[in-house]
Amino acid sequence: MIHLPSIAKIALRALRVNKMRSALTMLGIIIGVAAVITMLAVGKGASTKLSEQIATVGSNLLIVVPGSTTAGGVRMGYGSYQSLTRADAEAITSEIPSVFLAAPVISGSGQVVFGNANWATAVYGTTQDMLGVRDWTLAAGRNFYDQEIRSAAKVCIVGQTVADNLFGNANPLDQTIRIRKVPFTVVGVLNAKGQSMMGQDQDDIIYVPVTAAERNLFGRRIPGSVHFIMVKATSTDDLGRAEEQIKQLLRQRHRIGPTQEDDFTVRNLTQMLQLTEQASRVMSLLLAAIAGVSLLVGGIGIMNIMLVSVTERTREIGIRMAVGAKTWDIRTQFIIEALILSMIGGLIGIVLGITLAELLSTLAGWSILISVWAIVMSFGFSALVGIFFGFYPAYKASLLDPIDALRHE
Amino acid sequence: MALIATDRLEKKYDVGDSVVHALDGVSLSISAGEFVAVMGPSGSGKSTFMNVAGCLDKPSAGRYFLDGTDVIRMGRDDLARIRNEKIGFVFQGFNLLARTSALENVEVPLLYSTRPVGPKQRRERARLALTILGLDDRRHHHPNQLSGGQQQRVAIARALVNDAPLLLADEPTGNLDTKTSIEIMELFVKLNEEKGITIVLVTHEPDISAYSKRIVRFLDGRIVSDEVNRR
Ligand SMILES: Nc1ncnc2c1ncn2[C@@H]1O[C@H](COP(=O)(O)OP(=O)(O)OP(=O)(O)O)[C@@H](O)[C@H]1O
Ligand SMILES: [Mg+2]
Repeated sequence: MIHLPSIAKIALRALRVNKMRSALTMLGIIIGVAAVITMLAVGKGASTKLSEQIATVGSNLLIVVPGSTTAGGVRMGYGSYQSLTRADAEAITSEIPSVFLAAPVISGSGQVVFGNANWATAVYGTTQDMLGVRDWTLAAGRNFYDQEIRSAAKVCIVGQTVADNLFGNANPLDQTIRIRKVPFTVVGVLNAKGQSMMGQDQDDIIYVPVTAAERNLFGRRIPGSVHFIMVKATSTDDLGRAEEQIKQLLRQRHRIGPTQEDDFTVRNLTQMLQLTEQASRVMSLLLAAIAGVSLLVGGIGIMNIMLVSVTERTREIGIRMAVGAKTWDIRTQFIIEALILSMIGGLIGIVLGITLAELLSTLAGWSILISVWAIVMSFGFSALVGIFFGFYPAYKASLLDPIDALRHE
Repeated sequence: MALIATDRLEKKYDVGDSVVHALDGVSLSISAGEFVAVMGPSGSGKSTFMNVAGCLDKPSAGRYFLDGTDVIRMGRDDLARIRNEKIGFVFQGFNLLARTSALENVEVPLLYSTRPVGPKQRRERARLALTILGLDDRRHHHPNQLSGGQQQRVAIARALVNDAPLLLADEPTGNLDTKTSIEIMELFVKLNEEKGITIVLVTHEPDISAYSKRIVRFLDGRIVSDEVNRR
C-alpha cells in the first residue's frame, strides 16, 4: 500500500496546477458547510434562549382566563367576563392534588411615587402563592402573610426595575410608596428575572394583596372576581391531568351544565413555549435540508471535476500503472485528492460559517451558540462527501488499461 | 529456463474494415543474462512486442511465460507487481510525468513497491540512479526544462531504480548524440555483465546493436532472423 504523505503531496500538486478550478470546485462545499455552521449556531442560540425563557417564566404553568375561546367564534373581551374568583383559585390549590399552587391575579397598571421619583408600572393584585407559582425568589424582605391577604393590608413587593427607578441605591424595605396615590409599604424586593419571551421587562412589576388591589386600586363589579388565575402543576407529567381536573372543578363550581360552554379557558404556558420551540426546530430542519442539498451539489461538483481530472491525466495514470501502480494505488490517489478538496472546502466553510454567525450576533443581535460538535460534525461530513463523490472517478481511473492510457493524447 | 518465452504471439488491431497484424506468430526465447537487440523497419511490430514482453499489453493469441509464470492469465494487480519488481521499461516516447522533477520521476516506481521504501531511501536511490546517468545536477528540473536526450536519460534512470532483473528499452538512444549513446550503451553492457541484468533493446542503428550479444530482426510482425552477435 502506497505511503500516504507521498500520495497527499501528489494530490496537492495536482490541485495546485488548477488553482482556480480547485477553488471553484470547493465553493459548493464551502457554502454548504458555512450554511450548516451558521444555521446550527443560530438554531442552537434560539433554542437555548427559549429554554432560558421557559425557566424565567416558570415551568409547568397553566393560566386560567375567563371566557370561552370556542364560544361560537365570539370571544369575550379581556376582563369583561368576571367569572373567575379568588375562591376558585383557593379551591384549585386545595382540591386538586396535581396542582402545586394557584394564585389569582387582578392586573392593572399605575403611577407609582416615592419622594421625587415617579414610575409607571404594572401592578398585580395576588396572593403569597404567586412567588411559588412563578419560581420567583426574593432579593430582600419577605413574602405576604396570609393575614395581610385576608385583611387587604396595604403592603407590596416590588420588582428590580421598580426598585431601581424609585429608590436608586437606597433600601426600599419598609418605605412607603404611593400606588395610584394610595400609600403602600414595601415588604419585599424580587430578584431580577430579565426579559420575557415577548421582550417585556418582567422586573417592571409590583405585587400587592389581591384584596387590597380590589378595594383600593382597581374596583371590581363582582366582588372577589379576578382577571386570571396562574396555576403551577406538581410536574410536567401532571400538566395534562391538572388541566382536566381544573376544568372539571371549575365547571362544577360555576354550575355549567353538560351541554353548556365553559365560561373559562385553561392555557398551557409550557405547551405554548414548546410549540414555539417546535416551530423553530422545524425551521432548523428546513435549513438543514437546504445545507444538505448544497453539500450534495458541492459533492457532485467535486465528482464532476474529478472525472475531468481523470480524463486529463489519463497518460499520468498510464505511466504510474506502467511502473507498478496497482488498482488501489490509483484509487487512493484520486480519492485522497477529492478528500483534500472537500476537507479544505470544509475548513474554509467552517471559518466562514463562524464569521457569519458572529456577524449575525453582533450586527443583528441574534443569539448564537457555536458548538464544537457542530464543527466536528460538518467537517466530518464534508470529508465523507469527498470520499463518496471521489470514489466513482477514482474507480474509473483505476480500471483504465495501462497501454491505452499511455497512448492517450 | 528462459526468462522470456513466447509462443506464437499474435496481436491484431482492427482499423476500420482492415486488420493489422502487428505481431504475427512471434516465438522467441531469451535466457537470463542475455543482451538482445531487436531490429527491423518501422511498423514491423518491435514496440508491440516490447509492450507485450513488458506486461503492459495483452496479445490477441499465443502464450507468454515470464520467468516461468504464465503472464497472460494474471490479474491486473499481479501484473502491476511484476512490472514494478521484475521489469524496468524505457519507453520510445519517454513517458515522464509532467510538472514533476526529474528526481521525483525516478522515485515513482519505488512509491509503488510492494516492500515499502521510506521517503528518505527513495530519494537516495533515485539520486544514485540519476548520478549514474550523469543528471544529478538536473534533478530538480521538470521534463519541459530538459533536452530530449536528458529526458531519455531520466527515463532510463527510472527503469534502473528498482534494480529489476529485466530491462526492456524501446529505442533508448533514439534522441541521444553519439557520445551520450556510447556512454549509455557502455552502461548497459556494464549492467549486463556485472549485475547480470537481462537487456532487450530496440534500435534502428547498427552501431547500437553492435553492443548486444544477439540480434533479432522483425519484419511485418514476424521474426525474420535471430543470430548471435560477436562483439
Ligand atoms: N493501437 C494501435 N492501433 C492500430 N494499429 C496499431 C496500433 N499500435 C500499433 N499499430 C500498428 O501495428 C504495427 C506495429 O507497430 P509498432 O509500434 O510495433 O511498430 P515498430 O516496429 O515499433 O515501429 P517504429 O520503429 O516506428 O517504432 C504498425 O503497423 C502500427 O500501425
Ligand atoms: Mg516502435
